[in-house]
Amino acid sequence: MTTKRRAGFAASFLALTIVAGACGGDDAADDATTTSAAAAEGTDSAGGSGAAEKLSGKINISGSSTVEPISQRVKELFNDEQGDVEITVAGPGTGDGFKVFCAGETDISDASRPIKDEEAEACKASGVEYVELKVAYDGMTVVTSPKNTAVECLSLNDLYALIGPESEGFDNWSDAQALATELGSTTKFPDAPLSITAPGAESGTYDSFLELAIDPIAGDRVEAGKLTEDKEGTIRKDYNPSADDNVIVKNIEGTATSLGWVGFAFAEEQGDKIGEIAVDAGDGCVDASAETISDGSYPLARPLFIYVNTKKAAESHALVGYVDYYLEAGYEAVSEVGYVALPDSELAETVAAWKAVTG
Amino acid sequence: MALPTILDRGTAERVRRDLKGSRDLSGTLFRTVLQLGLLLTVVILAVLLGQVLSLGWGTVSGRLGDFLTAESRSRAAEAGVFQGLRGTLWIAIIVTIVAFPLGIAAAVYLEEYAPKTRLTNFIELNIRNLAGVPSVVYGILAYTIFVTVLEPVTGGKTALSGALAVAVLVLPVVIITSAEAIRAVPSSLREAGFGVGATRWEVTRSHVLPYAAPGILTGTLLSLGRALGEAAPLILVGAIPGSVGYSGGLLNPAQLHEQFTAMPIVIASWSTNAREGFDRATAAAIIVLLVVVLMANATAIIMRNRFEKKR
Repeated sequence: MTTKRRAGFAASFLALTIVAGACGGDDAADDATTTSAAAAEGTDSAGGSGAAEKLSGKINISGSSTVEPISQRVKELFNDEQGDVEITVAGPGTGDGFKVFCAGETDISDASRPIKDEEAEACKASGVEYVELKVAYDGMTVVTSPKNTAVECLSLNDLYALIGPESEGFDNWSDAQALATELGSTTKFPDAPLSITAPGAESGTYDSFLELAIDPIAGDRVEAGKLTEDKEGTIRKDYNPSADDNVIVKNIEGTATSLGWVGFAFAEEQGDKIGEIAVDAGDGCVDASAETISDGSYPLARPLFIYVNTKKAAESHALVGYVDYYLEAGYEAVSEVGYVALPDSELAETVAAWKAVTG
Repeated sequence: MALPTILDRGTAERVRRDLKGSRDLSGTLFRTVLQLGLLLTVVILAVLLGQVLSLGWGTVSGRLGDFLTAESRSRAAEAGVFQGLRGTLWIAIIVTIVAFPLGIAAAVYLEEYAPKTRLTNFIELNIRNLAGVPSVVYGILAYTIFVTVLEPVTGGKTALSGALAVAVLVLPVVIITSAEAIRAVPSSLREAGFGVGATRWEVTRSHVLPYAAPGILTGTLLSLGRALGEAAPLILVGAIPGSVGYSGGLLNPAQLHEQFTAMPIVIASWSTNAREGFDRATAAAIIVLLVVVLMANATAIIMRNRFEKKR
């Protein structure tokens, strides 16, 4: 009995040691293992890919969570043809993405805004060269409950009066009337409870809304002495923030005179659950649609970019193959995941910018 | 067996009523509060499980094989947890290799070899405190040590760094539970060994460890269950809340030096994914993680029972 027990104990310790040893030892053989495993997989998936050159390698993508679904979908489509290219796609945010991109850790950085000067300097300092490729448009749709028929169009001034930093405490639409009128709006707000649900400050959609709808007017208000400087770059604090678009839609749907905004792609998916409000930036009311976003007439829209490390592209056929695919066969991913595809002329410009790099 | 008869509730109540003759109001109230506490716990658990099961059952019962082997994809109906499972499996392996032997060895030393001095008391106290340190703090520690300082070994933000972070996180728990199991070994056993001239190593190996094994195993495997559910330290060492490109093979050691993700990270990132169907996929992923953790716990119970029978 005792011997058996001891043997069992010894055996389990031995097993642990062997596993530990195996793991340590295999590190050196990493590359060999990878290659053979990859080669074996390659023959499996080669069936459907046709005559194209067989690529292999690793691609590391990070950046905007808004662009992530496009890059992810392109990865999936690309991997159907090139199964040996290992692609990692993450979406921590545009700023975080540029941080690792400019440190040379990633090959592609997804971005929902152009690179900032200080980020470009960081790239320059560490010798990272890149090309900026515009790949799509994203729009924000101002939403309300489908039951709300009193409001069909809001100007940027109205949005500022209802959601901006000076609107804190307004819990009825009509509370914002005086401020909107002062800003030059002619919209007549209904006498109804105002309940705002929108993305929280951590969201890219929040940032974009702030930049496109609120900040320009807030800047003027500060200059006019009506708004203190510390309030610039904020919106009212007494709204319901949520990181989850589904929660936003639930709140918008559930309250008759609600107000909020979500990404255009997401709003389109919701169908009749939410009502859409047109936006007027001074040239009349414009509904959010694929056309008005890509022709630039809809005010609450922004272009989306990918930034490609050109030095890495020069060394990696896989990276070039992926970006080629992104802009050609895989471009359908853009509309598939709900963003607005570039008009042909703009797409041609993007392709030209990319071809200038790869020659 | 005499105690239960004397303390039988009915008897106790009768004796009290005979002596005092009044109703025990505060006693009844106290019992009701206790029952409410239990009821609340059970209800919360039932609601949680019910919600997760009702949301995720369709995916689990409809396409379990596909769900377990598919990668994270942008369409919920095609997405699977393979990348997360693989990361979690690596974490389980590394924790088993690193934290268990180290933790048990430290516990054996503390209990059997170390003299009881102020220093060892101080060290024990600190190990207990470490067990209570929030896991995020371990993440910061792991980032500094495994990602930055030991980068040549771990390769930076890799599966190895993540797994080591979790291993360090559970180490204090493993030490404490193992030490308690060893402390519970009757000293007469040791004395018997020493009495026939055995060395300390012989006594430890053939008397103390076999006797303490069930307790050690239960403690360590339960801590493994906790380790598999941790997300915070993994986020700090750079787990990818997205789709990870791994080298091929189920458990290819090359993957240890690659970027990684794990089940809790997959769940966290899917739960904030607003796309159609990801709420159901998230619930299904939670079910998968629950099953994995329950399996670790079940292994603990089975092993304990087996060792106890042998004893």
